[in-house]
Amino acid sequence: MSSNVGSAKKDKLVGDLVVNVALALLVLLWTIPTIGLLVSSFRDQFAIATTGWWTIFPHREWVTIKTIEPGAVERDQPIDVENIRATFDELREGVQSGDKRLVWIGNRRLGTIQVQEQEWTMNLDFTLENYQNVLTGKRYEVTQPDGSVKIEQGSDMSNAFLNSIAVSIPATVIPILIAAFAAYGFAWMKFPGRRMFFIMVVALLVVPLQIALVPILRDYVRLDLNGTFLAVWLAHAGFGLPLAVYLLYNYMSTLPRDILESAFIDGASHFTIFTRLILPLSLPALASFAIFQFLWVWNDYLVALIFIGATADTQVLTMRIAELVGSRGNDWHLLTAGAFISMVLPLVVFFSLQRFFVRGMLAGSVKG
Amino acid sequence: MKKNLWLLLAMLTAVIVVISACAPAPPAEEPAAEEAPAEEAAAEEPAAEEAPAEEAAAEEPAAEEPAAEEEAMASTGEGGYLDRALAGEFAGTTVTMMGPFTDEDEVKFNNAIADFEEKTGIDIQYTGTKEFEATISVRVDAGDAPDIVDFPQPGLAANFASTGDIVDVLSFMDVDTLRERYDDSWLDMAVVNGPNGPMMAGVWHRFNGKSLVWYPKDDFDAAGYEVPETWDDMLELTQMIADDGDTAWCVGIESGAATGWPATDWMEEVMLRTTSLENYDAWVTGDLPFSSPEVKNAAEQIGNIWFNDEYVLGGRAGIVSTFFGDAPNGMFEDPPRCWLHKQGNFITSFFPAGAEAGVDYDFFYLPPIDEQYGKPFLVAGDLMAAFSDSDETKAVMEFFSTGESVKGWLQAGGALSPHLDAQLDWYGDDVERGIAQLVQEATAFRFDGSDLMPGEVGAGSFWKGMTDWVSGSADLDTALQEIDASWPSNN
Repeated sequence: MSSNVGSAKKDKLVGDLVVNVALALLVLLWTIPTIGLLVSSFRDQFAIATTGWWTIFPHREWVTIKTIEPGAVERDQPIDVENIRATFDELREGVQSGDKRLVWIGNRRLGTIQVQEQEWTMNLDFTLENYQNVLTGKRYEVTQPDGSVKIEQGSDMSNAFLNSIAVSIPATVIPILIAAFAAYGFAWMKFPGRRMFFIMVVALLVVPLQIALVPILRDYVRLDLNGTFLAVWLAHAGFGLPLAVYLLYNYMSTLPRDILESAFIDGASHFTIFTRLILPLSLPALASFAIFQFLWVWNDYLVALIFIGATADTQVLTMRIAELVGSRGNDWHLLTAGAFISMVLPLVVFFSLQRFFVRGMLAGSVKG
Repeated sequence: MKKNLWLLLAMLTAVIVVISACAPAPPAEEPAAEEAPAEEAAAEEPAAEEAPAEEAAAEEPAAEEPAAEEEAMASTGEGGYLDRALAGEFAGTTVTMMGPFTDEDEVKFNNAIADFEEKTGIDIQYTGTKEFEATISVRVDAGDAPDIVDFPQPGLAANFASTGDIVDVLSFMDVDTLRERYDDSWLDMAVVNGPNGPMMAGVWHRFNGKSLVWYPKDDFDAAGYEVPETWDDMLELTQMIADDGDTAWCVGIESGAATGWPATDWMEEVMLRTTSLENYDAWVTGDLPFSSPEVKNAAEQIGNIWFNDEYVLGGRAGIVSTFFGDAPNGMFEDPPRCWLHKQGNFITSFFPAGAEAGVDYDFFYLPPIDEQYGKPFLVAGDLMAAFSDSDETKAVMEFFSTGESVKGWLQAGGALSPHLDAQLDWYGDDVERGIAQLVQEATAFRFDGSDLMPGEVGAGSFWKGMTDWVSGSADLDTALQEIDASWPSNN
């Protein structure tokens, strides 16, 4: 009897172990690209272009210990070097003898023979230059007519960061406010055409925002709204509302009817119920939608580009980062650092709202 | 706790609304500025009011449109919009511009026009964006076009010209003046079909030379190789380098969504060297199909080099997966792993930081294949097109037709000037001066064909077709037929 219990415990332990190891492996697999990006963001352009980020870990590498000038040896005959006889083509491939390797670096006309040995190495040349370039702006050297070189400091990230915040927070709060009222109405108020209106809202979910860009811009130009933050707030609010209404409706309609009914009997108005009961109870759903919407707006490029434009003092972070790559993509290595800097705020938002998130993920999925 | 959260959110929102209303936003901010403190609004207003007033004042003299036109026609210089601007007539006005210059190019562009802005008092507000092609269509469709747009692809400008959005350059500058400032080839390249027949879509501001082959000069000389004068010499050199155990060519055509464009440049180069200019022009307008023997022959010439794994670093398979900017890296390894790289003059911005022109690298003209077609040169450039017919816009347009408008950029490096009055000694960079000289010596030059073709082909199926062919996922005939099939039917 007792041995049975013991083996059951053992089985459970083994089972747990398998699950945990599997999970750990999956997590590792999932985060490897991000880790690689993070490591790359601390390496300089040449290092990124020539060696992989994983070379920061200890590994064995062929290291040249001696270089031999071949001089005028006949390239077409086998060559005697370091007690080895090999043809040019063999040497180009590398000839191994013992723990040494001979390699011809270069072509027949130029080049040297290098004697190499394997050694343990790590590439630990890290630099903060990428972050510096991204945060404080790139420096451009512009030659002046008199031949002198003027250094122009490119714009730093602070302005774009503030602009992104100025766009994201209202563009998150506005749709939540409207959607919460709308969802309550759809869920708990009776009025003619309720179903039809709700179906219309849900149907809007499938409308891609790209097709609305030109008509909206046309209206904004007419209203003289274009290029303002208000324009982009309204645009994001509009594009975010269908999902917000749908998500919040599903959540609110699962709240127990009894609570609302007792409130009604006590003489509460719809507004009181909404503010005192529904809003506090819907907090997880509100928070999870806030995260969705915030991330979406924070990472948005297209809507901001069309409605605010790309001038230096109004551009948002995504535009600034897109411009980091330079006129022809020659500074692509700065994107690594740019990505991590733009990630900071969304991570803060996510972790501070995270405790609502798990509950909110289930929002509307289980109906009572 | 929950209350606090809401309070915090509400306060954040309120703060941001106020901050953004006070921020130095564009003049169109007014509706959102309602909540701004009174003095802020007041501070903003004078500037906003001034502009319309000035504009109105500036418009008055031009009220008799025909008279102004006659004036411009009658004289090349005095009375032109540029002179009126230099006299300070348009001081205080603003000209908005949009284009693809970002980052370093934007800094250099602004640097080049700073002097003009100071002299005339016209404020040129340039907005550069990486997503220029997508943005400009939306802005124009919505009736929110900037005053001047900088098109790197004349094909795109032609689309807007045909819908009547672009102001004909000839309506405010006469042909003789333009002839004094540009070679006829440049002027021809700016002529497109407008709503009422042919019109000049814009003026050229800067260009890039393409017909160049780069090589690592010091190693090249040390190895005893010689710069080839003919295509056959170049193939011989390629074979010689292969015999010496190296691959001659660095080729990479990967460029994200635009993968394949370097291959289209090669096609254009070989087309110019194996067939007549008339055939090239017919090809660009769609009259000579891709499946014609001329185009196929050009592709085969390229295939002779590219598809020989002894000739290309990384072999055929490496071409499609190598980023075009990384492709020349092999030349700068010690010793070089590849020795020749064909690319426009802008590629120097991808060369390693320490590389020195004339020592570590140099260039030669991609040699002619068939003598009877001379020494053609392939170029690409920026066409400035006016979307507004205000006087200050015309003045800025006229300014762009002078070498002065790009002089600062030539000194800073990164541009070539198409203007006849630009001097070779303006170039701050020997390489660029050399290229400018090559262009002057060229027997003919033509614009990058893919930039002239309709967007569906020139920025779509041509790239894709070449990529499919090079990667081996389609044979040449299939690839060329697919490009033909994608040509818009209205042509």
